[in-house]
Amino acid sequence: MYQYDAIDQQLVEERVAQFRDQTRRYLNQELSEQEFLPLRLQNGLYVQRYAPMLRIAIPYGMLSSAQLRKLADISCRYDRSYGHFSTRQNLQLNWPKIEDVPDILAELAEVQMHAVQTSGNCIRNTTTDQYAGVISDETVDPRPYCELIRQWSTFHPEFAFLPRKFKIAVNATESSDRAATQVHDIGLHIKKNEAGEIGFKVIVGGGLGRTPMVGVTISEFIPRVDLLTYLDAIIRVYNQQGRRDNKYKARIKILVKALGIEEFRSRVDAEWAHLKGKESTVPMSEFERLQGFFSEPNYDALENNPANLTSKLAESAGFARWFERNTFEHKKAGYRIVTLTLKKAGQAPGDATAEQMHKAANLADQFSFGELRVSHEQNLVLADVRQEELVNLWEAAKEAGFATPTLGLLTDMICCPGGDFCALANAKSIPIAAQIQETFNDLDYLYDLGNIDLNISGCMNACGHHHVGNIGILGVDKKGEEFYQISIGGASGHDASIGKILGPSFAQEEISSVIQKLMDVYVANRTEEERFIDTYRRVGITPFKEAAYAKAN
Amino acid sequence: MPKLIKNGEIVDNTYNWLQDAEQTVTQDSIVAAQKWLSEKETIGNVAGIWLEAGDGVEFLQDVDLSQFDVIGVHFPAFTDGRGFSYARLLRERLNYQGEIRALGHFIPDQLGYLLRVGFNSFQFSEEVDLEKALDLHKPFSIAYQGDVADPRPLFLRR
Repeated sequence: MYQYDAIDQQLVEERVAQFRDQTRRYLNQELSEQEFLPLRLQNGLYVQRYAPMLRIAIPYGMLSSAQLRKLADISCRYDRSYGHFSTRQNLQLNWPKIEDVPDILAELAEVQMHAVQTSGNCIRNTTTDQYAGVISDETVDPRPYCELIRQWSTFHPEFAFLPRKFKIAVNATESSDRAATQVHDIGLHIKKNEAGEIGFKVIVGGGLGRTPMVGVTISEFIPRVDLLTYLDAIIRVYNQQGRRDNKYKARIKILVKALGIEEFRSRVDAEWAHLKGKESTVPMSEFERLQGFFSEPNYDALENNPANLTSKLAESAGFARWFERNTFEHKKAGYRIVTLTLKKAGQAPGDATAEQMHKAANLADQFSFGELRVSHEQNLVLADVRQEELVNLWEAAKEAGFATPTLGLLTDMICCPGGDFCALANAKSIPIAAQIQETFNDLDYLYDLGNIDLNISGCMNACGHHHVGNIGILGVDKKGEEFYQISIGGASGHDASIGKILGPSFAQEEISSVIQKLMDVYVANRTEEERFIDTYRRVGITPFKEAAYAKAN
Repeated sequence: MPKLIKNGEIVDNTYNWLQDAEQTVTQDSIVAAQKWLSEKETIGNVAGIWLEAGDGVEFLQDVDLSQFDVIGVHFPAFTDGRGFSYARLLRERLNYQGEIRALGHFIPDQLGYLLRVGFNSFQFSEEVDLEKALDLHKPFSIAYQGDVADPRPLFLRR
């Protein structure tokens, strides 16, 4: 993974010193609340419902075991001994004290971590596929490009005060898009042209929140040398022309929609004409330098399906289930990608205790070259596990609560922290996740239902990405009472779509039974091999709607 | 007249920023750019012009900017980042060499960014302690991106 040199380290340390001074001046009342707000947000510090929240960047999801141990250690000494992995490859601490944050940042800097631009109206932490570099069908490893974008966007002098937050995600596989690039401000698909040159299909103006939209293609192919000048051009147009009169209409998606993609593209091209070929054009030497940080680990020459794996698969149904759901084909023979799920019943989705973080770090050291990934679905990934070690890893993962064999199933839900933590939330989301996990606890049934994305958000800001869940649940407030609106038909991959609202919202206690009715409609209507989303797309919303509201009729 | 920070020092302000279109224009005035453009035949010599957020810079591309000692950029709120692009475009696209002055509601903690996009003078609101602001008058010692002072990104300097 990327290793800081003296310059990267110096920058992070200078940011810590700067924030220490800003915090001191705020606490001394030399900086007003209003002035401190964007400064602290650009350092990931929110003031939440009960306490501040610190969002720590995990650039493109890569984490060393030493970094994870440091996060665990920080959560113990400065917080309540747990953290929350978010959908955008960050770790959130829910209970730090403002006056401790500079010390936390100083400790993070010791392990090459920070909270730079994890919030605020600036370019946020860039995200990508959690299986980058190990999945067999990727065009190239996207991580060096993510690192290039990370450096370009860090303390970008022109774009620190944009109309709104700005999120970039990168994907490099044709078969799937695990980074949800089409619902980002800019989505980048790495591809090769006919000449074999590497470049990017650029998608712009996707996003969720109040006005959910799937992005549109602004360019089919931008050569990689031109990536940064093209990004500068897009964001410069947005910075000058994006709406600033209404924060709900300030995202780039609104500008793109208002102008139309043709007009937006022509403005970007006019801007780019001045930038293309200039100093920010990326030389090959830089790609080579960055790629050098993401070279393959020392894989052994191994065969697929070692004897201890095949025999265990035959004799243990539990292991076979875990293997089928929670592990993934690796590009190297004899290896497997393993997801450690953070979706154990009784624990909020994406939460990990300090003890679990230590255990995951140990597993990474023991089984996966000391590295982990953080996924968009709020799980952890060990990317390089020898197949002959899978049985041992499974036993250890079960013991740590990481082996819930439900990856991609109904109960592997994305869930925001909701009203239990977040000041913006209209409703709680964690109890809804718990209710669904308790109701749908029959693994055979879950397996029969197959892949279903269920996403829960506690408010329309959509941190839980409810719009792009095959089933989305949105908390709404009605005269001080919490209700839940259900949508179906959303998707976040290459076939991205925004879900449709089923109808009037439901009371909290009704949610599981409504989901059950939706599943019944699916099971009754599906053809063999048809996923929930496919059935929905074939039969439409009506039968689901009728079933969900049958009682009321 | 209140002082300002210019080229890293606290100095006297010798120009008069005309925010109100009715104010009398003199050769020390910094006049709204749109007003100057429509009245330039009659308005006489001025110290410079100032841009309102939303103006953009395209409308200045055929104007000889070397006639101005100063171009002001107004920040209606310190979170309104349009002026960052304007300063950069004045320097890099319109090749303006004179003083670029930040006006209005910006804060000392933004000085690092403002310097990098080409501002070199800062007319703070009156409650700002300029001595304290001067402490923040420096960007970080290193930067990944190119900027107005050095257009080379770090990958050309590393």
